[in-house]
Amino acid sequence: MKPELKSALITGMLGGLVVFLFGGWSVSVLGILIGIVIGLSNGSRYNRNDGFIRIFKQALPNALWTALIFIAVSLLENYVVAPAAGKRPSPFGIMLAANLVGTLGLVLFASVVTALHGLTPRWERIGKIILLAVMVVVFPFIDEWTGLRWTSNVIFALIFVILGLGLNIVVGFAGLLDLGYAAFFAIGAYTTGILSSPQHDIYLNFWLVIWLAAGMAAIWGLILGAPTLPLRGDYLAIVTLGFGEIIPVIFKNLIDVTIKEPLTCWVIPGIQSLFGATSNLKCIVLAEHLDLTAGERGIKPIGRPSLPIIGDFQSDNPIPWFFLIIGIILLSVFLIRRMHDSRLGRAWMAIREDELAAAQMGIDPVRTKLAAFSMGATFSGFAGAFYAAYIAGIFPSVFDFSASIIILCVVVLGGLGNINGVIVGGLIIMTADRLFLPALKDLLTGLMRTTILPGLEAWPGVQDAVAQNANPILYRFLLFGLTLVIMMAIRPEGLLPSAEVRAELHAAEEQAGPIENGSGPASDSAAGGKA
Amino acid sequence: MKPTYMRFIRPLIAILVIYLVLLIGPIASLDFPNIYASIKANPVQLIQFLIIGLANGAIVAIIALGYTMVYGIIELINFAHGDVYMIGVFTALTTLSLTGSLTTTDPGHIAIGIFVALLVAIAFTAALNAAIERLAYRRLRNAPRLAPLISAIGMSFIVENIGLIWAAQSWLVPSFGTTGGGAQKEFPDLLSRIFVSLGWDPNLLASTGWGLRFTVKDLLVIVLAGVLMIGLRLFIQNTRLGKAMRATAQNRDAAKMLGIDIDRVITATFLIGGGLAGAAGLMAGLYNNNAWWFMGFRAGLQSFTAAVLGGIGNITGAMLGGFLIGLLAAFSDGYLNARWTNMWVFATLVLILLFRPTGLLGEQVGQKA
Repeated sequence: MKPELKSALITGMLGGLVVFLFGGWSVSVLGILIGIVIGLSNGSRYNRNDGFIRIFKQALPNALWTALIFIAVSLLENYVVAPAAGKRPSPFGIMLAANLVGTLGLVLFASVVTALHGLTPRWERIGKIILLAVMVVVFPFIDEWTGLRWTSNVIFALIFVILGLGLNIVVGFAGLLDLGYAAFFAIGAYTTGILSSPQHDIYLNFWLVIWLAAGMAAIWGLILGAPTLPLRGDYLAIVTLGFGEIIPVIFKNLIDVTIKEPLTCWVIPGIQSLFGATSNLKCIVLAEHLDLTAGERGIKPIGRPSLPIIGDFQSDNPIPWFFLIIGIILLSVFLIRRMHDSRLGRAWMAIREDELAAAQMGIDPVRTKLAAFSMGATFSGFAGAFYAAYIAGIFPSVFDFSASIIILCVVVLGGLGNINGVIVGGLIIMTADRLFLPALKDLLTGLMRTTILPGLEAWPGVQDAVAQNANPILYRFLLFGLTLVIMMAIRPEGLLPSAEVRAELHAAEEQAGPIENGSGPASDSAAGGKA
Repeated sequence: MKPTYMRFIRPLIAILVIYLVLLIGPIASLDFPNIYASIKANPVQLIQFLIIGLANGAIVAIIALGYTMVYGIIELINFAHGDVYMIGVFTALTTLSLTGSLTTTDPGHIAIGIFVALLVAIAFTAALNAAIERLAYRRLRNAPRLAPLISAIGMSFIVENIGLIWAAQSWLVPSFGTTGGGAQKEFPDLLSRIFVSLGWDPNLLASTGWGLRFTVKDLLVIVLAGVLMIGLRLFIQNTRLGKAMRATAQNRDAAKMLGIDIDRVITATFLIGGGLAGAAGLMAGLYNNNAWWFMGFRAGLQSFTAAVLGGIGNITGAMLGGFLIGLLAAFSDGYLNARWTNMWVFATLVLILLFRPTGLLGEQVGQKA
């Protein structure tokens, strides 16, 4: 099979899985989306000199084959699975329209985007950017119109994209494995919560608070980063893990803060009483029974951003939130790209490759690592502020160890050190977690109730066991763990490795010769410091 | 030549730090007047916490051995080790449940059940740990440091999830009223049941009148831990495989050249570490009487700290560190507040890593990290 057809079919099957879960109108949205993905990933397989028209003609059959998958899956879902799961199938008219839009969209976008490769590189780039921009702008409106209601979950995915981008600075660029990154997320969110909620009767404007949150996260990045500087490799990982564990505990427990100045309250009176004198010092109390973070009850409600024309952002209308987070992501990507190419960015990569050599070349490791920590933390401050305002309430349990690991999954899956990779990784992991797993759960529950469990009536034990364990949400951590282990074993450079990593991979292949123990050049290229 | 005022900088910083601890400490329950008052009110309590600390420290030490042995040989923090211990707790609970020891009152039956559970837990966790090494670490042995570490975290998540699913199976884990896999499960207090039914007083030291309790449970945990530690020590020092392990830890390449099968040594290390974690799981279940899918994370953090405190790679150090961390945790639970215990344990870890990365008994191994 030709590689471009194979890649198109694989992408199509992944899209088909989603259609299988949702049915109905999802086939149209997914069709367009998958078409663009196929176009983006396949373009470079064709010869640029063929020109737009000829590549279009070559790509068309592949797209048609992929579209067949979509039609088949959509029909299967609607007429076989949906009745078995006790769902009401969509009427024929809607199915026809949705499939028509989906198939046409897939074929058209897949071929056109692939064919963009036939233009000059500059126009190809401009074409792709315009296309992506249109897609992003149109997505929430289509989503609302078709009633899929994906936008609010996509916003979560985008929050994790920002977090992934921030962690990518620390792990991907500078090669410092940070296992407590959610701590900075928590700091950003709690800064927002404390500064714009009834908790302390402070109501600052969101547009100011988001910068304060980022600044606060950056400062804490410095404070928590400083003690880890002398450590390398695994020790750094475990210390950051500890910080990640401690910070939520602190937020959870700061519900009854009493600070008494020790000298006046008991050191001097204690000394005086030793000599038999009675103390007449007044104890200075800085805070007494202060409920700083509301503990597990959480801080709520948190102020929402507002803009002149739209007014306050409402929780039932995700569209303004969507564009706000897209704006934050664009800003972050711009800043991170600039950082990556700057002197500092190159210093990070030098430290990642070989700290000793970098230090010999005049790079100050302390400063460079601290900058990585605080820059990485800054972006999670943005994410935290947005999260707090979007949810309008924050609870300490959100920021525990698993959050840090999910963010790490995002970075590892997408590709350590690559900005586009992290964006893709974040979208895949978080939509899988928030959209597809719950949808799969609904589907399975429906299937269980209407088809499978009645069939198991004869064996009540088996019936119980099946009913108890057929919940994909229960296997969430397993999926995250498997992502990490499998990625490290098979493709440590991630789905979209950065150009440098790919180049290193080839250099290593030429030098490596026979490979021992099944490890080899692929794993050598993972952006790990040679600690 | 340093300027003269530099002489005062260090003492000044020290005074500042002490002042800050006095000022902010009470937020995290480090309130010296309070602590002084409670010690003065009931001095015997101090001994009580010492006993609890020693018993829990013995468990921590046994888990820490697994960390330190693996680190000594392949220089990898086996993040999944704490979760292997958690699986040990559940294996023991399930074995006890399946042998009917949880519901019977016959002391002989319970004793045999406990012995069988010990063997099953050791065998199962040993196999699990070796399987983890085979699946997740072996092929990454020559990869950059980051890769096996990330793989280890992934494994930890996978094992935790296995524990979660395990805990949800009502036919494997008796629920005693708590439902769902996420809840903490009760691990019945079998030891005192045996001794009560034998007509012995399970409280060896209850007659002191001050409410001091030194029970058979404490004694058994400490003795069993001591036996395991001495056994391990003898094994490492005297057997052929133990010598091979020490050689591999010192220099893997040289050991290989001398004909030591590295893969076999590493597998053996993981088997022994996992088996110890399983034994610790049974002990912890019998001593603390609960089982929870997330307990491995805490235990892992504490025992890793213990391993670092003693000097990672150093087996005697891990035992010492385990007891110290157990004591620290017990005193923090008792005199400060259990909510903050993890923070103090962790603060200890950071301080050791900053000021003495080789640990109390460590050689230069710590510098390799």
